[in-house]
Amino acid sequence: MTAIDVRDLRHDGRGLRLEIGAFSVPEGGRVVLFGPNGAGKTTLLRLLAGTLGGGFAVPAAYLPQRPYLFRGRASRNLHLGLDPAGRLRADALAARLGVGGLGDRPARALSGGERQRIALARVLARPEDIVLLDEPLTALDAADRAVVGRVVAEALADRTAVIVTHDRDDAVMLADTMAVMVAGRIRQMGPVRDVLGLPVDDAVAAVLGVSNAHAGRTIGTDGALVEVDLGGATVWGVGDATGDAVALFGAETVTVYAGRQGTAGSARNRWVGTVGVVRELGRLVEIVVDAAFPVVVVLTPGSVDALGIQVGTVVTVAVKATAVRVVSR
Amino acid sequence: MEFLWRVVTDALEALRAFGPAIRDVLGLTLEVSGIATVIGVVIGVPLGVALGAGRFRGRGALTVAVNTGMGMPPVLAGLVLLLFLWNEGPLGAWGLLFTPAAMIAAQALLAIPIAAGVTAGAVRGLAPDAVEQVRALGMGAFGRGVVLGREAWPGVVAAAAAAFGRVVSEVGAVLVVGGNIAGETRVLTTAIVQESRQANFGTALALGVILMVIAVVVNGVLTWLQFREAR
Repeated sequence: MTAIDVRDLRHDGRGLRLEIGAFSVPEGGRVVLFGPNGAGKTTLLRLLAGTLGGGFAVPAAYLPQRPYLFRGRASRNLHLGLDPAGRLRADALAARLGVGGLGDRPARALSGGERQRIALARVLARPEDIVLLDEPLTALDAADRAVVGRVVAEALADRTAVIVTHDRDDAVMLADTMAVMVAGRIRQMGPVRDVLGLPVDDAVAAVLGVSNAHAGRTIGTDGALVEVDLGGATVWGVGDATGDAVALFGAETVTVYAGRQGTAGSARNRWVGTVGVVRELGRLVEIVVDAAFPVVVVLTPGSVDALGIQVGTVVTVAVKATAVRVVSR
Repeated sequence: MEFLWRVVTDALEALRAFGPAIRDVLGLTLEVSGIATVIGVVIGVPLGVALGAGRFRGRGALTVAVNTGMGMPPVLAGLVLLLFLWNEGPLGAWGLLFTPAAMIAAQALLAIPIAAGVTAGAVRGLAPDAVEQVRALGMGAFGRGVVLGREAWPGVVAAAAAAFGRVVSEVGAVLVVGGNIAGETRVLTTAIVQESRQANFGTALALGVILMVIAVVVNGVLTWLQFREAR
């Protein structure tokens, strides 16, 4: 049975045109909508919830992106819109989420994390079989996320859910299916691990945080490995692509050696180039090495100093073939 | 100066005596304006919540009507009602002309748009997140309205205060449909007009003071309600 089946959805929002050819979720399926800000995730969820009109609404319990607590006590908010059985469920969920004792407090006096958990208990206690959650764990600090995430995952068991997030860990914890949205369209939808491991194209790869995505043609195989010609250089990777393909690997999987190192290590992929860009990324440093193609690498500041890396430095970059995904395109 | 001093002493004397005529006028004023305000709030506040947060056909036209009604001259409201209640008018058979009931109806016509307009403004001023959330609670239209009206509580109280302030201070509507009959349809404002015309300035000023006291007491109570956090 299909719980959600949306076809030919078109919606013109402010600065965003949402176009969904087909989006369906089987009964009991849990789909995470993943993508950058402004991709249309929240808009799609609101259309499903019916708060934006449009005629695509499904009967669902819905947690908005910024849940709102009304005047009065926390308990009033916890029970709003629920029948007596639902109120008991909400009380039990609130206790498990660590906000069971807050009932008498004015809702306005609660912290952001407490409000989020009251709102979660309220929405998860609803009787509907379909649950729509917009960034359910975002307002929580790292320590609470795991605990709250487990309670949410349990409450979603046997229910159909659509969850908006831009956190990979949340996606893995809460959902079985991932739909990646870019610029108002669903670019890829499939099992979470498949999508994370095998982005369908470079746009999806960028959304998922894979920094190196290079297009070429397959030219040979060696066991499980495929060799891709990127035009002037080749890269070995894992996959069963033939013909036009994209090689994908994360910036954190690349090793850097000072100077020209032809033989060190076991990595099958090895290119020499000069450092073209050095950019600080919070506590890490991102460099781009101009080999036959630009290779993005993330290093610690300590490694940058030890290797004497600056713009113009000649280095060797290496990446194990097993860290590279080769995807047909 | 002597003239003003005499008027003030006369007024104080009239207040001290607080005769049956003043008492009747005060009682009828509170009754007429009080009931008209209640009707205005009961009809106007839900209308205002619907206009402020609802999505329905005709909402724009209704908003224009309400905003226009907020500025309607009382004497015109009185005239329209007079035409309906006139002996040969559509509702002439009801025999309501020159009765307190007609005055209540006239003032209610003035109170409804004020209550609706102020409430709609307060509801529109709520955070968009509140409106999104209330739609997510799985409630019917009535339940959603109650939650939003309660959230806009200070605005709803302001709506009641504005409606009462408008009707208790108006002269035109009650004069036209009530007729200012002594002991029957005379209220504070029409009595002030009457006494001023007869140069009974002391009595007129005393009635004016009473009107101000009512305004202060009613607004004091409503302000207290506004500050109090809704339970």
